[in-house]
Amino acid sequence: MDSVDKDKVTVIDATKIDTSKYKREVKREDDAASQLKSTGLLNTLVYAKDRAEKRDQNVILALVDQVVNWGRLCSIWPVTSGLACCAIEMMSMSMGHYDIARFGSEVFRATPRQSDLLFVAGTVSKRMAPRLKRLYEQMPEPKWVIAVGSCAISGGPFVDSYAVLTGVDKIIPVDIYVPGCPPRPEAWLYSMIQLRKLIKEEGVGITWGLDK
Amino acid sequence: MIFENIYEIIAFILNSAGILQYMQSYSDALGISIAPKLIIILIETALLLVGVALMVMALTWMERKVLAHAQARLGPMITWYHGLLQPVIDGVKLLSKEDLMPKRADRWIYFIAPMIAFVPALLVFIPIPFGRDGAIISDLPMGILYVMAVSAISPIGILIGGWASDNKYSLLGALRAVAQDISYEIPMVLTVIGIVLITGSLSLQDIVLFQDKIWFVFLQPLGFIIFLVAAVAEMARIPFDLHESESEFVAGFFTEYSGMKFAFFFLAEYAHLFSIAAIMTTLYFGGWHGPMIPMIPPIITSIGWFTLKVLVIIFFTMWLRATVPRVRVDQILDIGWKVMIPLALFNVFITGLLVAGGVL
Amino acid sequence: MARTEEYQLNVGPVHPSTHGVLRFVLTMDGETIKDTEMVLGQLHRGIEKIAESRSYLQFIPYTDRLDYISGMTNNYGFTKAVEDLAGITVPKKAEYLRVFVMELNRIVNHLVCIGSLLLDLGAATMIIYGFRERHKVLDLFESLCGARMTFNYIRPGGVRGDIPEGFIDNAKEFLRDMPKRIGDYAQLINDNEIVHMRMKGVGMLSPEDAINYGVTGPMLRGSGVSYDIRKDDPYSVYEELDFKACTRPECDTYARYIVRMDEMYESLYIAEQALKRRWHPTLQG
Ligand code: SF4
Repeated sequence: MDSVDKDKVTVIDATKIDTSKYKREVKREDDAASQLKSTGLLNTLVYAKDRAEKRDQNVILALVDQVVNWGRLCSIWPVTSGLACCAIEMMSMSMGHYDIARFGSEVFRATPRQSDLLFVAGTVSKRMAPRLKRLYEQMPEPKWVIAVGSCAISGGPFVDSYAVLTGVDKIIPVDIYVPGCPPRPEAWLYSMIQLRKLIKEEGVGITWGLDK
Repeated sequence: MIFENIYEIIAFILNSAGILQYMQSYSDALGISIAPKLIIILIETALLLVGVALMVMALTWMERKVLAHAQARLGPMITWYHGLLQPVIDGVKLLSKEDLMPKRADRWIYFIAPMIAFVPALLVFIPIPFGRDGAIISDLPMGILYVMAVSAISPIGILIGGWASDNKYSLLGALRAVAQDISYEIPMVLTVIGIVLITGSLSLQDIVLFQDKIWFVFLQPLGFIIFLVAAVAEMARIPFDLHESESEFVAGFFTEYSGMKFAFFFLAEYAHLFSIAAIMTTLYFGGWHGPMIPMIPPIITSIGWFTLKVLVIIFFTMWLRATVPRVRVDQILDIGWKVMIPLALFNVFITGLLVAGGVL
Repeated sequence: MARTEEYQLNVGPVHPSTHGVLRFVLTMDGETIKDTEMVLGQLHRGIEKIAESRSYLQFIPYTDRLDYISGMTNNYGFTKAVEDLAGITVPKKAEYLRVFVMELNRIVNHLVCIGSLLLDLGAATMIIYGFRERHKVLDLFESLCGARMTFNYIRPGGVRGDIPEGFIDNAKEFLRDMPKRIGDYAQLINDNEIVHMRMKGVGMLSPEDAINYGVTGPMLRGSGVSYDIRKDDPYSVYEELDFKACTRPECDTYARYIVRMDEMYESLYIAEQALKRRWHPTLQG
């Protein structure tokens, strides 16, 4: 630390940085074939072979697995359930600015029976916990849970309160955690992308029934 | 060649390919000479199913896109070109979802309800002329009566679905939906009487042919407005969407349904939307009439015109959905019984006078 | 004569129309609601108990999380109490800045309120437009304090920090654009026949009831009571600002909606004045 020459350290004014040159170039697929490829449909076929080798599976089953996964990851319907402050950011995420609909997830189903994803968005009070668990149990398989906000992860600012559950993973299994209080909508979108990866890689697939 | 219906078209194609004769002789030798006919009917059914399914998929995609763009959003984007594959993906997903059944549900009824709701929506298409030169499955002489009768079956599916789910939300949603369906069926049928009075025929093909010069929208403006309102109610679209009424009864009668059964209700809803838009086109917008384009076979152009008109009507309902709120249940029934039915009767009265006076 | 029976319907705590975690047990007769029993406490976080073990400054972030749509106003309420207790006088320029952010926050609050109202009536479009404007305000706030919803901006003695570069231009742009947008929304909603059917004569709250129940804000003014604490018992610098309390006499949901719409215009006007005065040459420094 002593070796740093104090005079040589220049203070950078963050507001003066020209961010325009950091703009990421957006790669666009122009022709339909490559767009189809980017959806994962063609890649699905390629991956299926890998998958079959990796899991020592029949190629056909692996292919079915892949197609089903592809369907699941592009159409994740969340259940409409907001618990506290974070729920407002959940609404922001589905509105024009951030538009979760691009991932095919704007269909917020009001009934757990028809949804795939539970956002635990906000403080889980001890009174609410059993109901949340019930909500989770009412959802049909396959289902995923994203715990959003420090409250849902660990109790957050209310960790020493007598009325708040410290971490929703004490009652239901959580797939992805998104820290923040509240997390920015970008972080939510990032969590969606992570979830898509999770589905793609692990793949719950149609392991039930067909495999046996 | 002039064909009567799709059956003859398929028979002609098979005949000219030489398959039909072969099939005929083979089945004659086996003693089941009816087999070729059955096969043709099967092909016809498959065509209808595929056509309606494709249309329904297109409609769900269109709905999401239209709504999104009305709301300054983009809608589905990542699944191929502007999310065109989204309906397929939803289908794949719903197919692979767990199929839950509530513990105290009435099993068989719960199981059969989605089908009862879905099948009539398909049956409606039988007497509707999609295009000229025989693009019709069967030109029933009682076409319009048949259409009204069959589309009145779906509420039964809704009602028993809501009943069997053993959920108060479902039951209330189903009761509301059925009340709405029934009370708007009546003005709808009454307005149709006006048209039937003028054409003097119940066959939809005749009704379309009658509109060669002038569409019924201009002959029956009052009737059209009543039919439009009743149609929006029958389609269960906002402002008359008691079927789902999300902010009140969660998801209406299919609250407890999941997976493929839910998908069937969903499909039925959109098939119904399509079928009613098709009936409206047939009755009021001249069906498949439209300027014919040279070089293209008229059957294809006419089907194109028909589809276009249907899509415009459906676009209108989607636009409506993006703009107006829902009407409360008692207000819906009020409008149905106290405004629509008297107006429809008045329409019948006026039309009757005009027809009797020889004006129309 | 058919025999009918009342039945009970449970709404919530997870239900699309409860917006959060609220539970009703409705006693219904057919479609008519006869009685409502409220079950509260699903979002009880024990804030009071937490406050006992926090210092004044530490507690400000918690106030953001009380009414999480208008964090600034909550900040102010708590801060004001602390300042009064400790006898702190706040510089005028800080007060103007506070009023500015609070009025913008009021606009956000009303936008979300109107959007949710229309969403419950079944029109999904308004809330998305409302959130579009909300994002603009939140961008402003974010440049002030770095957070989108939980600001922790107003502190005893003033605010967390002065405005960043370019803030005034952005704020002016927003103030300039917003009246047109509100006009658009009014066009979308006000003359809609179905909106009138759903909102007029619904949720009547007579002036006497409103006062007896201790209702405040737009709810009270929608019942025809012209009482605005900013005018009748002014705090901060509201005395020096020119605005009017919007009141409607109809006492129904529609009146309350119109009050909110009008208040957005007033808030814009107040914010504009506050912005002007804060950067008036005599206040510089
Ligand atoms: S994490 Fe923060 S913003 Fe989210 S619910 Fe908890 S306190 Fe509210």
